[in-house]
Amino acid sequence: MGKKLFRYSEENKDKFLESDNITFNDGSVVTPEEIWDYLTVEGPVKYPGTYEINLSQGNRDSRDETLSTSLKTHYLSLTFSARMEKAKESGKTIAFIQGGQAVDPYTAADTIALRPFLVGQWYHGREHGNDIYKSVLRRKQSKESAFHDMSFEACQTGGYEHVQVGDLPIDVIAPYTVLRCSDVSYGVEAHRHGPNKDVKLINVDYPMRHQADKPWAIEYFAQNLRKLVKTLDEVRGKTTTEYDLLRAIKLHNEGRRLGNELADLWWSTDIPPTNSDDRNSLVALANLDMHGDVQASLSVLKEAKNIIAERVKNGVKGHAVTDNPKRLFILGSCVGINESRSEDAGAIVVGKDDQWSHCTSIVEEEGDPYYNLAKATLEYPYEQSIEKRAQWTIEQIKKSRADGVIFIHNWGCNTQAAISRPIVDFIKRETGIPTYIHERDLHGLRDEQEQNRVNAFIEML
Amino acid sequence: MSIKTLEIVRKRLEERPEELREARKKGQKVVGWTGYNVPEEIIHALGFIPVRIAVGGDDRLVEVGARYASSKTCVFIREIVGAFAENEDPYIQQTDFLAFDATCLQNYRAAEVIEYFFKKDVVVLAVPRNFAEDDAKTYFVHEANEFTRLLEERAGIALDPARLAESVALYNDIRKTLKSIYTFQAAKDNVISWEEVYDLIQAGELLDKHEYLSLLHQTLAELKERHHNPVIESDDGDSRIFISGSLIPRGDRKLISIINSVGGRIVGDDLWSGILPHLDLDIKEISPAGVALGYLNRTPHAALPYLNLESDRRLKKLHELLSQSKAQGVIYHTLRYCDPFTFKAKETKNVLAKSGIPLLEIHTEYAGSDYEAMKTRVEAFVEMIRIKSESVQEEAA
Repeated sequence: MGKKLFRYSEENKDKFLESDNITFNDGSVVTPEEIWDYLTVEGPVKYPGTYEINLSQGNRDSRDETLSTSLKTHYLSLTFSARMEKAKESGKTIAFIQGGQAVDPYTAADTIALRPFLVGQWYHGREHGNDIYKSVLRRKQSKESAFHDMSFEACQTGGYEHVQVGDLPIDVIAPYTVLRCSDVSYGVEAHRHGPNKDVKLINVDYPMRHQADKPWAIEYFAQNLRKLVKTLDEVRGKTTTEYDLLRAIKLHNEGRRLGNELADLWWSTDIPPTNSDDRNSLVALANLDMHGDVQASLSVLKEAKNIIAERVKNGVKGHAVTDNPKRLFILGSCVGINESRSEDAGAIVVGKDDQWSHCTSIVEEEGDPYYNLAKATLEYPYEQSIEKRAQWTIEQIKKSRADGVIFIHNWGCNTQAAISRPIVDFIKRETGIPTYIHERDLHGLRDEQEQNRVNAFIEML
Repeated sequence: MSIKTLEIVRKRLEERPEELREARKKGQKVVGWTGYNVPEEIIHALGFIPVRIAVGGDDRLVEVGARYASSKTCVFIREIVGAFAENEDPYIQQTDFLAFDATCLQNYRAAEVIEYFFKKDVVVLAVPRNFAEDDAKTYFVHEANEFTRLLEERAGIALDPARLAESVALYNDIRKTLKSIYTFQAAKDNVISWEEVYDLIQAGELLDKHEYLSLLHQTLAELKERHHNPVIESDDGDSRIFISGSLIPRGDRKLISIINSVGGRIVGDDLWSGILPHLDLDIKEISPAGVALGYLNRTPHAALPYLNLESDRRLKKLHELLSQSKAQGVIYHTLRYCDPFTFKAKETKNVLAKSGIPLLEIHTEYAGSDYEAMKTRVEAFVEMIRIKSESVQEEAA
């Protein structure tokens, strides 16, 4: 039986062709026409799974085709694997990092920084022609091999399955460790015993517990950042100057500011200007790391901000958004709920702390860039004490006018799971907003049961 | 084997909660501490009574703890949180404040949860992941000074270097004596078992330190009297087992009793709740920084990542202890969601295999439901070691 497939409609093509180009790090440009061709001709052949209509994977039978930046983020995702291969061929350094961290020092050292999700995207994007079933099976197989070599209780396997069991040419495993996740530090260590055990490793040691006001902690983390840049320089055989870092900070501050402006615009209206998925993919651009190309992310982000401003001004409602949806704010691990199914149940996701907290920390541009970056990093709201983090979350909830809060923690994510109850307890006590702790099962084996619980929460709201 | 002093130790432990209650009535403060790098000497030198918060083996408390710290947190931490929720543990009841460290991130999370829900005053010592590097040590010295300042605030006095020197000397003597006693349990024709020494080590987490030292000296004297020349070598038919992995705190004796029940003889450990923290602690300078660095420079805890397998001191220490104890196999104990040790299980097995030492990982919780399954696996492992040992002896003959 043939699968039901989504296709971009020709009737939106002319409008899309009027939109902006995407400019990449290497100065190359891709035009809307080229993007359209890829999305309608090459993409469906290479990655049929992403065109498959499958609600459990969040793939609707229709998409917001009038939101040009949505098509562009889709394009960037589909071309990601090929772009990474090309970057490697041209001698670019590629680092494995942690989600929820800024990438300013990597950009300064002309290194592509890939968080776990992107490492997986690169690996799985190498194989073409897979439908959803085959893609999911492949992902599970590679994850299983990492569980075997590390721990079956691991949530975060540190890209192990791709770098060690697989053959992904990552040059250096260099995340900020212990930031939000303990598994990632064990994951880094595990690379010392794999078949590719000579891959370069560095722990960028993020100290925990009330550190942001301690000068010695800032200096320690700054020193870790200096070591990180030195390590990246050793890999690529070039030297990064303080000026390079300052330039990177300025560039990333631009992304962070744009992301904040976009979020504020989105939150400023009662009528959601995009659906949850589109909002998520646009806000995620603020860190500029999302597609392995800082400039590409920035150019789409700039365009997106203007589109959202226009939509807000004209009261345009996002695609497939129901009338007066219940507004959900998501907290916790680096995973989310099924947004399209939750929308069908009458909700919309208006924010998420995980990929947002670090985008709200603007780095001071005057003075020692390492110290400034260290200070801003230690101030990430997500990494603060229970009360401070919850207080910051309440501010986000108020700004986004959320009706309900879901704290979701992934299988094996001890660091977030442990504080899920006190965080939601604090929020509920201070705001009176209903909260719910959602435990994500291993490998999403219980999607249906989990959605059932989310839907019940939405119904209660 | 009946070492008389051990009876006294057991009796003193029964009396200890009441003693703490009386001490508090007289104005002394009790500090409940947990963590691999908490410099206990500083707590002691400030006039506090340190007691280690380490309880296990009660799945009901684990369940209670899960309500506050999630069911995805390690079993030990869940039980600790559960014990604070119920507040029936006689030692927890007597604590005036707590001192935790962040060596294991779950331990740190426990501090946050206990602070939040049970309104306990917790002083937390941050611990660097890059513990072996100089800048990490500088950072840790700052943290140790800050930790000391927070303790001084609670003590209402400044730390007196002379008192710190006394505490360091006392603790050094305790560690030295424990090491001597430990040798006896692994010896041929032993008069004290590993289990007895293990209980004795854990008694020191609760008893008054001066009295504890005196009891240790008494124990050692008894041992010397009864066993003049302890030589560590295998008795005929021994299956010499070494226990590694997640801690086994007071109240949790499931795995130990299983090993005993199938005829295995435990002859060594590198557990955080056993002998390991007492080894290689070299305090070079009498100051908070000196004490803290002494702790950090010991064999590292598995929660602290180390990126070079060849020079990993934890594995080197494991090899050294295995050699000293003449152990024939390792039972690697991992608690549910204890990431520091579960992540290293396969690697440790592979490393030991190169030296011909078999390793059995036992992954468990505090529930009794896996008792028989564990027993089957341990029994097979012990039997395998025995057969291997016998065949080696036969070949030698």
